[in-house]
Amino acid sequence: MSQRVYITGLGMISAIGNNVPESFLSLSQSRTGIGKINHLTTRYKDEFLAGEIKLSNEALADLVKDSNPALNRNSYIAMLAAKEAVMNSGIDTNDGLRTGVISSTTVAGMSKTELYYKEMFVKDDHLNVLDTHDCGDSTERIADYLGNVDYVTTISTACSSAANAIMLGCRMIKHGQLDRVVVGGVDALSKFTFNGFNTLMILDREWCKPFDENRKGLNLGEGAAFVVIEGENALNLRKGKALAEVVGYANANDAYHQTASSPEGYGATLAIQQALAMSGLKPSQIDYINMHGTGTPNNDLSESMATKAVFGDQVPKFSSTKAFTGHTLAAAASIEAVISVLSLQNNMIFPNLNFTTPIAEMNLIPETKLVNTPLTTILSNSFGFGGNCSSLLFKKAS
Amino acid sequence: MDALIEKLKGQIIEQLNLAEVKPEEINPDSPLFGEGLGLDSIDALELIVLLEKHYGIKIQDPKDGKTIFQSLRTMAEYIKAQGKS
Amino acid sequence: MTKAYISGTGCISPQNSIDGEWFFDTINPAKGDFFDALEPSYKEYIAPNLLRRMGRAIKMGVAAANLAINQAEAKKVDAIITGTGLGCFEDSERFLLAMLDNDEQFLTPTSFIQSTHNTVGSQIALIMKCHDYNFTYVHRGFSFESTLQDAMMLFEEGKDTILVGGIEEHTPNFVILNRRAGKFQNQNTAIPIWKSTTEGIQMSEGASFFVLDKIKTEKSLARVDGIQTLYKPKTSQDILMKLHAFLKLHELSLADVDVTLMGFSGDVVFDEKLKELLPIIEKESTAASFKHLCGEYHTASAFAMWVATKLIEKQKLPKTVAISDKTPSKIKHVLIINQYLGINYSFTLLSQC
Repeated sequence: MSQRVYITGLGMISAIGNNVPESFLSLSQSRTGIGKINHLTTRYKDEFLAGEIKLSNEALADLVKDSNPALNRNSYIAMLAAKEAVMNSGIDTNDGLRTGVISSTTVAGMSKTELYYKEMFVKDDHLNVLDTHDCGDSTERIADYLGNVDYVTTISTACSSAANAIMLGCRMIKHGQLDRVVVGGVDALSKFTFNGFNTLMILDREWCKPFDENRKGLNLGEGAAFVVIEGENALNLRKGKALAEVVGYANANDAYHQTASSPEGYGATLAIQQALAMSGLKPSQIDYINMHGTGTPNNDLSESMATKAVFGDQVPKFSSTKAFTGHTLAAAASIEAVISVLSLQNNMIFPNLNFTTPIAEMNLIPETKLVNTPLTTILSNSFGFGGNCSSLLFKKAS
Repeated sequence: MDALIEKLKGQIIEQLNLAEVKPEEINPDSPLFGEGLGLDSIDALELIVLLEKHYGIKIQDPKDGKTIFQSLRTMAEYIKAQGKS
Repeated sequence: MTKAYISGTGCISPQNSIDGEWFFDTINPAKGDFFDALEPSYKEYIAPNLLRRMGRAIKMGVAAANLAINQAEAKKVDAIITGTGLGCFEDSERFLLAMLDNDEQFLTPTSFIQSTHNTVGSQIALIMKCHDYNFTYVHRGFSFESTLQDAMMLFEEGKDTILVGGIEEHTPNFVILNRRAGKFQNQNTAIPIWKSTTEGIQMSEGASFFVLDKIKTEKSLARVDGIQTLYKPKTSQDILMKLHAFLKLHELSLADVDVTLMGFSGDVVFDEKLKELLPIIEKESTAASFKHLCGEYHTASAFAMWVATKLIEKQKLPKTVAISDKTPSKIKHVLIINQYLGINYSFTLLSQC
C-alpha cells in the first residue's frame, strides 16, 4: 500500500521573514527575528522579548487581498504561508486529484477574542468573533483561499501540533485517502498565550539560550508554516519536483506530567526511536538534528537525555532554531520542517544562537556558527504540553 | 506565627482547590510536596502567586520556591522575614 | 477494508445516558434554548487529587473514557484519540477573564495549563500510563469524525485497541454571548426539530467515548464499517451521490440501511440539505433524529454513534428517536448523516457484528 511521500512546496511567515526566501536570508546571516514587542498589547511589553511577525494586521490583510472583517491574525498568516507553499510546489487544486488541508493551532482566534470578549456582553459590534475563535476557522479559511479542497481537519497537540499534522498528511497519502496535502500549523501571538507562559515562569527576559547551562526559558514567537506533501504517484503524474522525502515519523506520549517533560525524556526517546525504526536508518546515519530546544531548563535537559539515550556518544550535529523565530507553538514543527528542507537543499546547518556554556551534566555542544556540510538526513523533534512527543525524519530527495 | 500558619492553611486550600482537605489535617511541619499534601510543580507556581497576591512578595526564580515551600512553617517564616505578615 | 469493533461505550449527555439501563424512555427537554449535560458525581471515576484541577470538559471526558474502558474491560489501549471543537473552554475563559479583569496580574497557571485542547487526551494518558499514540482533533463538526478516520488507519498500521472520544463543554457566559449573537432558538416542543421553519439551534455539551478493537471479541457491541467527511457540499444531490458511493464501497445500498440517524439541528438554514434528503431516506430506510436528545455541538456525532450502538445492541428503534412511524424489522445497519452549520457533513456506518 505504501507509496513514498515527498515535500514539494514550502511556505512560511514568522519573525525572520514574511516568506521562505526572506527566512532563508535571515537564517544564513544568523539574524534573529526576536526583539522588542511592537504589535502585542501587554503591560509587560518592555520587560520581555518576542518573535513577532513584522507586519500589522492591516498590512497582512493587504497581502492576502481579503478585506473580510471576520479574518484574524491567525487566518491571515495561515492563508499566506499555505498559499506560498502551494505556489512553490506548482500543484493545481483544480486538476481533479484529491487535495487535503491539515492544519494545527493551539490558541486559534484568541488574539482577536481577547480584544472583544468583555465588550461582547454589552455591545453587538464584534459578536462575529464567536465564529472565528475556534481552531477549525483558520483551516477552513485556507481551504477556501486555495479552492477545491476535498478534505480538511485540524489538530491541536500543543507545541507538537504541526508535526502531527505533517504525520497525518503522510499517513492519509499512504493509505490512499488523499493524493496530496497542505500540512502545517499556525499560531498568532496573543496576550493569552503570553500571560499563560509567564505564569509558568518559563519566559526568558533576554534572548533565549537553547542548550546553554544558564538558559532561563523561552521567547515566544508567532508564525505559520505549511508544506505541500505529495504521494509519488501524484508527483510523477504531474512530473513535479520533490524537495525532500518524509522517511520517518512517530508520535508517543511521555505520560509523566501535564506540562513538564520527564527528566529522562522517555516520551522523546520513544518518538525518536520509532521515527528511526520506520525510516530504516541507523542513528549513525543521521546528519543533523533540528532540536525542539525551547530554552527552558526542563525541555533542553530532557531532550538532551533523550538524544543521548538514542545516539549514545555519537550525537549528530544539532541546533535549535528557536533563538531565530521564538517558540511558535503549533507552528513550530512546520517552521522547523521548512528550515530542515532549506538545510537539505543548501547543505547548511543554521546555528544555535546565544549558546556559550554546555549543560554541565550533558556536555552536548550545538553548532553555533553557520556550517556548510553535505546533508542527506535530518531529524526534527517537537514536544508539547500533555506529554505529546513527535519526531519527523526528512531525507534529501534523490 | 501560629496565626499566620492558620491563615496560610485557608489560603492554600482555596488557591489549590483542595476541597477534600481540612485545615486541621495539615501539619505545619510536614512537607507540602511529594508526601504530605502531595503537591507538585504546578502547585508551587500557584503558591508563588499566593505570596504575591496576599503578601506582596514577588519571587522571580521558581527555584527559590523549593526552600520557601518546604512546609507551612518555612513558608510562614519566609513571609515574616520579608516583613510582610 | 478495516473495520472497528466497539467493545465499550461511555456517554455523558443531557440525557440519562450514563445509566447503562436507560433506553430513551424518559427524555429531558432543552432548557429553553440550550442543554446542560447531566453530570455524574465524578468522585466515582476520578481521584480527588486530579479532580481538584479539572474543568468540566476534562471531568466529562475522563469519566466517559473510564466508563468505556470498564465496559470493554480493556487493560490497556494502543492509542488515545480525542476530538473537541472548543476544547477546555471553561478554563480558557477563566484565564482570559482573570487576565482582563486584573490587567494581567496575579494570574495562576492551572487554568492556562488545563485550557489546551489536548488536556483530556493527555490526562487519560497520564492516568492510564499510556506512552503510545496520542492525538487531538479540533476541527468543528469533523472533530470526532477525524478520530474515527485516524483509528481506522491505525488498525491497518498494526494497533489493536484504541480509545476514541468526543468532548464539548459550554459555560454560562458562552451561552449568553451566543444567545446575544442570535444563534439560538427556544425549542418549540410542539414542532419536532426536523420540521423547524425557524433559525437557531440549542447549544449543548457532552462527552462520548468508545473502546475500539481491530478484531471481533465476545465483548463487541457493534462494528464501525466506515466514515467519510464532506466539506461544504454544494447541493443535497452532491451529498446523495457521495452517500451512494460511500455505501457502495461497503457493498450496501440505502435500502439495506435499517436506520438512518440524521443530524437535524432545528436551524432551518443549516438543515436545508438534510431536509431535502429526508423523503429519500424515508422511502428507502427509516429516518431517526438525535439532536433533539443531545442538542447541537461540534462533537454531537459522537453522541449519535453512542445512539447507533444502543439501537444495534437492543435491536429496537424507540419512538422517541424515530422520525417516521415505520418500525424496522431488524437493525443490522445504522447510518449516521451529520451536518454542522451546514458546512461540515459526515457519514458513519455501523453494523451489527
